[in-house]
Amino acid sequence: MFKRTVLSVLFVTILVAALALSFAVPGTEAQDATPAPTETPIVAEIGSGGTHISFWNGLTGSDGVTLNEMLARFAEENPDVSVTVEMIIWNTLYQKLQTAFVANDPPDVILLHASEIPMFGSFGVLRDLGDQYTSGGGWLPDDDISATTMDGMIWDGVIYGIPLDNHGRGLWINTDMFEAAGLSTDPADAPTTYEGWVELFQKLTLDANGNNALSPDFDPENVVQWGYTVGEWPNVNFIAGLYQEGGSFLSEDGTEVLVNSEAGIAALQKTVDLIYEYHVSPPAAGFDTWQGFGAGTVAVLPTGTWFLNQANLFTDINSRAWPNWQFGSQPAAWFGAHTFMIPAATEGEKLDAVLKMIQWVSENQIDWAASGQVPARLSAQAQLDPESYSSNILLGENFGAYGVQDPKSTVTQEMLAYLDAELSAALNGLKSPEDALNDAAERMQEALDRG
Amino acid sequence: MYQTNARVAKPGLLSQILSPSLKTREAIAAYIFLAPFLIFFSIFFVRAVILAVEYSFYDWRLLRPTRPYIGLENYIELFEDEVWWTAVQNTFVFTIMTVIGTTIVALAAAIAVTQPVRGQGFFRVLLYMPSLFSVGAVGLIWVWLLSTQFGVINYGLSFLGIRPINWLGDPDLVLPALSLTTIWWSFGFPMLILIAGLQGIPEQLYEAARIDGANGRQLLFNITLPLLRPAILFVTVTGVIAHFQVYGQTYIMTSGGPGRASYSVVYYLYQMAWVAFRMGYGAAVAVAIAVIMALLTTLQFLFISRRVEY
Repeated sequence: MFKRTVLSVLFVTILVAALALSFAVPGTEAQDATPAPTETPIVAEIGSGGTHISFWNGLTGSDGVTLNEMLARFAEENPDVSVTVEMIIWNTLYQKLQTAFVANDPPDVILLHASEIPMFGSFGVLRDLGDQYTSGGGWLPDDDISATTMDGMIWDGVIYGIPLDNHGRGLWINTDMFEAAGLSTDPADAPTTYEGWVELFQKLTLDANGNNALSPDFDPENVVQWGYTVGEWPNVNFIAGLYQEGGSFLSEDGTEVLVNSEAGIAALQKTVDLIYEYHVSPPAAGFDTWQGFGAGTVAVLPTGTWFLNQANLFTDINSRAWPNWQFGSQPAAWFGAHTFMIPAATEGEKLDAVLKMIQWVSENQIDWAASGQVPARLSAQAQLDPESYSSNILLGENFGAYGVQDPKSTVTQEMLAYLDAELSAALNGLKSPEDALNDAAERMQEALDRG
Repeated sequence: MYQTNARVAKPGLLSQILSPSLKTREAIAAYIFLAPFLIFFSIFFVRAVILAVEYSFYDWRLLRPTRPYIGLENYIELFEDEVWWTAVQNTFVFTIMTVIGTTIVALAAAIAVTQPVRGQGFFRVLLYMPSLFSVGAVGLIWVWLLSTQFGVINYGLSFLGIRPINWLGDPDLVLPALSLTTIWWSFGFPMLILIAGLQGIPEQLYEAARIDGANGRQLLFNITLPLLRPAILFVTVTGVIAHFQVYGQTYIMTSGGPGRASYSVVYYLYQMAWVAFRMGYGAAVAVAIAVIMALLTTLQFLFISRRVEY
């Protein structure tokens, strides 16, 4: 009897512990699979003012912490306003938002990407924010936002967003590995041709015997240090490569998918060759690029502005930002814009509070640079301290000079989902680049035609 | 024999309502107890199923104000879609591997923990514990275990001179790897069912067989397995239903990749409904999945239940 009682108690204890453990997991930045500098709360209550607004965003990394710190200062300066911030993994956020709009119960303000403006704008669920810009009698100078970023705020002639930042692609290099290979770490010395980049990656790729990938004795089956990795966010790398080769994602009138053009096939072939021809990158699947960089097994990590705080966490890795690679005849780097949008249902004093919050954050955008991202306002970019924000400045200048964004379409997310699967097939040797892009283009065109 | 011609007056309708018979009173009580479940079941399940069938005939993007009726077009598109058939094939392969694996592991575990040894209860709890974890936790644990870079499994294999295997990145290995994960996660429940089945087999049968000189293998194949068939049937039917709906492991561990090598039908449904936001098409996918599962279950009962010995 006693034994059964003890076993029962033990079982219940284990059950409760297991359940508690299973419920605790989603709150630990699971999708990033990397630790954040400070734990980002899933829900944060900021301020105690009587006008309460709800704010959804997808900043589940360290950037969420930075924004919450800014909002805490906003609430101090505006004691009449309180904010509930919910940070939701991006993919889930899109789903929650759609159902919230259907239920007519959306948050008061959202932070999405500019590329989602066409979809939500076309559904008529967003507020026209044209009156917030000086051209519409508002406070935000139109000329303080780059033309490319501004273009992303507009759908069908209506301005639906106020940009917070430009976040986009660049490289993070392990400077110790560069120096060991006798390579310069100065971004100005970055190659400008595909051949130059391949040679750089080959010098940085080492097998277990210490031979680099240029050596005739190199063993590609036993690599311990990769010069490069293709696995992180392949679709934005592909978009950059496509434009570098002189191609474009959609036709000028936005009705035809062009990813399987000669330019697209050349761009993808060059990336595939880095894996199977030159052996300077592992296949995309099954390789954690960030952890690989942190473990000192990757020399050049193609990532983005958001990596700054993560790089600082890898305290035993000396690293710095580099401009995006250039495999084609012209430079290009993908970037996007985190953008404030206001549901059309937000009205009255909540709308006033939301607009006050957005204006406050916009006017203090320089603080947002601590997240690693590049402030969207040109005046804030000009004030960045080169010592503290060298990566923001370097990559931000590149976005201004040759940045390219996601295609503007109401079905961008659907098209990118089809592209992702086909890029994965090509980057893991399951399809040729041409077949993969033809298959992707066919499905993407169907989505585009459906609208 | 005492007889009477007196006719017993039938109670009127009013008196039946006011003073119902015991049988009626029991029936009313039963319906009252069932009512909360039936109401919620009808609203949140039956109604949802009916609506899903209805929506499958519409071209419906979630937020689009218009929802044109398109008849069978969603179904025609579905049956012409190569990705759907890839997902169906993957799901069948995964389900077959997982149901067979889970049943074998659960049976072995059930036999092991019904042996009269010390700590029997502890081992039952220990073996059942993985079933208590959420799919999120299981997925993340196994991504790390199977990692090419840092995985314990590859580390162990390195002592045998085997180079790191890209379990989740190799199209030939990804489904077995997902299946392995699922077997570890889910064999606890069928183990409990089989333990109950084993405990229902009379000990006298084994004693008689031993007296006749039967060895362990003969006991297993001639007594245990035949008499466990009802439990095995239940385990396989519920296993097929559960594993055909594999989603969480795919979403967390592989995102359907590499390429579409681990796309499952429910992952395809998720992609269509919640990434492409094509709710009408997603509903058609859901209906197709339900039909396949109903057919599978019927077939299982037809072919397996014939040989069940109760």
